[in-house]
Amino acid sequence: MRRDRRSTGRSFLIAVLLAVSAGILLTEQAKQGDMAAGGAAAQRKPTGQPQLVSVEQMPGMTLGMDGAMCEWVPASASGNLLASFAQESGAAGDTTRDGFTDRAPVRLIRDNYPTYSAITVDTNTNEVFLQDENLFGVKVFDRLANTPPSAAFSEPKRVLGGIDTKLEFNCALYIDPVNGDLYSVNNDTVDRMVVFPRNARGNVKPMRELHSPHRTYGIAMDETAQEMFLTVQHPPQVVVYHKEASGEDEPIRVLEGDRTKLEDAHGIALDTKNGWMFISNHGSSSSPRIKGGWFSPPSISVYPIKASGDTPPLRIISGEKTQLNWPGHIFVDAEHGELFVANDAENSILVFRATDQGDAAPTRVIQGPTTGLSNPTGLFVDTKNDELFVSNMGNHSATVYRRAANGDAAPLRTIRSAPVGKQAQIIGNPGAVAYDSRREEILVPN
Amino acid sequence: MFARLATENAQPTRVIAGQRTLLARTMHDIRYDAVNDEILVANPFAQAIMTFRGGAQGEEPPVRIIQGPSTEIFAQVDRLDVDPVHDEILVPNHDQILVYRRTGNGDVAPIRVIKGPDTQLDDVESIAVDPVNDIIVVAGARPAAAPGQTGGGGQTEGGGGELILFRRTANGNAKPLGIIGGPKTEIVRINQIQIHNGWIIATQPGKYEEQEPEGVFVGVWSIHDRGDAAPRWKLGGPNTAMKKPRGVVLNPAHQELIVADMRLNTILTYYFPELF
Repeated sequence: MRRDRRSTGRSFLIAVLLAVSAGILLTEQAKQGDMAAGGAAAQRKPTGQPQLVSVEQMPGMTLGMDGAMCEWVPASASGNLLASFAQESGAAGDTTRDGFTDRAPVRLIRDNYPTYSAITVDTNTNEVFLQDENLFGVKVFDRLANTPPSAAFSEPKRVLGGIDTKLEFNCALYIDPVNGDLYSVNNDTVDRMVVFPRNARGNVKPMRELHSPHRTYGIAMDETAQEMFLTVQHPPQVVVYHKEASGEDEPIRVLEGDRTKLEDAHGIALDTKNGWMFISNHGSSSSPRIKGGWFSPPSISVYPIKASGDTPPLRIISGEKTQLNWPGHIFVDAEHGELFVANDAENSILVFRATDQGDAAPTRVIQGPTTGLSNPTGLFVDTKNDELFVSNMGNHSATVYRRAANGDAAPLRTIRSAPVGKQAQIIGNPGAVAYDSRREEILVPN
Repeated sequence: MFARLATENAQPTRVIAGQRTLLARTMHDIRYDAVNDEILVANPFAQAIMTFRGGAQGEEPPVRIIQGPSTEIFAQVDRLDVDPVHDEILVPNHDQILVYRRTGNGDVAPIRVIKGPDTQLDDVESIAVDPVNDIIVVAGARPAAAPGQTGGGGQTEGGGGELILFRRTANGNAKPLGIIGGPKTEIVRINQIQIHNGWIIATQPGKYEEQEPEGVFVGVWSIHDRGDAAPRWKLGGPNTAMKKPRGVVLNPAHQELIVADMRLNTILTYYFPELF
């Protein structure tokens, strides 16, 4: 494989050298006015020296072609001919004299279904709230909703979403256990934590919003102290506000610094009974006080609930035995002394003792083909009904289990928002795109 | 990764994800090096430049990582580009442009650093390199300053509202070859940039704080444009369906321009033969 790559590279360099040695000498300076119509040749300026004029892939460098001139067309590409027609029409007559081009795309790659990043349950109204990070909204279902296998998907009983809601890359949810107020955290773009009344629906303005730090991810509430905790991915922080904070209110305390071991902080859970704060960390890290970044293993770090400043953790759960792999939202069931972790990249739910530390193996792991788990990032433990709710970003669903479920456990119920087997694209906040000309693939980072 | 002809709810052909990949859930650039069949991605939080096999999938680790105190990367590193002709990786990093050997691995020092008051670099985030015409173009993601404004929350020289061009081999406190900026450019801020055949192709996603800003577009300028130059082409408008374009790449073989739109969570492909 390495030899092949070197050989390919040599071929390319030979092609480049040939192009250079051809010595294309330009004698006329292109006029700027000709460039719009001219293309590459119009861009060159004479130097009196040989110039590199093009970098092109050799035909034999395309994987699977080896010099063959026929393009492989997949059987699924039935729309190809139509696309060709669309291309022809799309290129004609839609550009004004000043270069404005209002042209329709020939293809769109998009997921038309909700993708659920977080979940919570209002045990007073028996409603499940699902955070849709793909279409930007909140979908509300009955707690006992269960999509029949024959159904394409379940309709939510109400939907909250639209430009006025300011929901965008909304990644965490909290329901006030007394009045049912809905708290929603936006992650990367709008920098707002927004609050809605229990029955909000449609494109409505939040009743309260807080200018939250950029890249806020998790939310937890200490109802006794009336304090709201938010995690910030990077620079990693836990910011604590008064519960009713709004506008430009400042946090009442901040946990941050190199000794905290916060590293790409994600989920947060509070154990008010024992006075502990749990944070899940992905491990990508750097500090303004240290030259150069670094990678740490994923971890759960535990602090005193009132920790602030550069306070080190009381203990850390981390290591091979933990099975942590991009841990997302977490939840403490103080009644049973357990910590639940949505283990995104391992398609699993991990359950630890709330007192665990070091390289501790989980006491239970929900994982396997029967579970319906697919990139789980959110969870909620309903101790009233002894159930565990999970949001799956990978398959447009929420799955519900017995609280004490273990192993390859089948869900008690599934709320499905797309046809059976439809995997989510999980394109989230795409800031860039690349094209793999060898495999004819489009590459999208999240 | 999606097939070129994928549409609507198509499934990805493969996914690179998980702890062992060392990717963050937050990524702001990706580049494919067709010559060496490699994928390049920055991890902004870990200040790392990572290179994967072109065919990587699943929880596959990178083949090389540039990271550490010798790299001179500070704070977040968002975007990058690769020059396969001269075997270099170029990284914009606030007030500097760092250039590494493409094959660099570990805690390596840059082979060139463009930095200093004459560079006019200030909080640049995006970059593209043209190995044919020996040009580097950079821009920032912060909004442009209002006319006459300097500093503060807006941009001074070298900010998001401008495209700054350097000779590819520039080093140290080098002056730019030129700057494209001004009201006619209609640039508010720039995200991903590409250069092809002497054309600079840049996404213009509008004001950061607006979820659906007006006037977003993908602009095309010549590498010879200077000053307050209107884009040669401006792909935008209601038919394009774009709401907040941040990523752009070209597929010359099929004369396509591909856009990543963050408000739509959508990849849009346009036939754009004029560019090729």
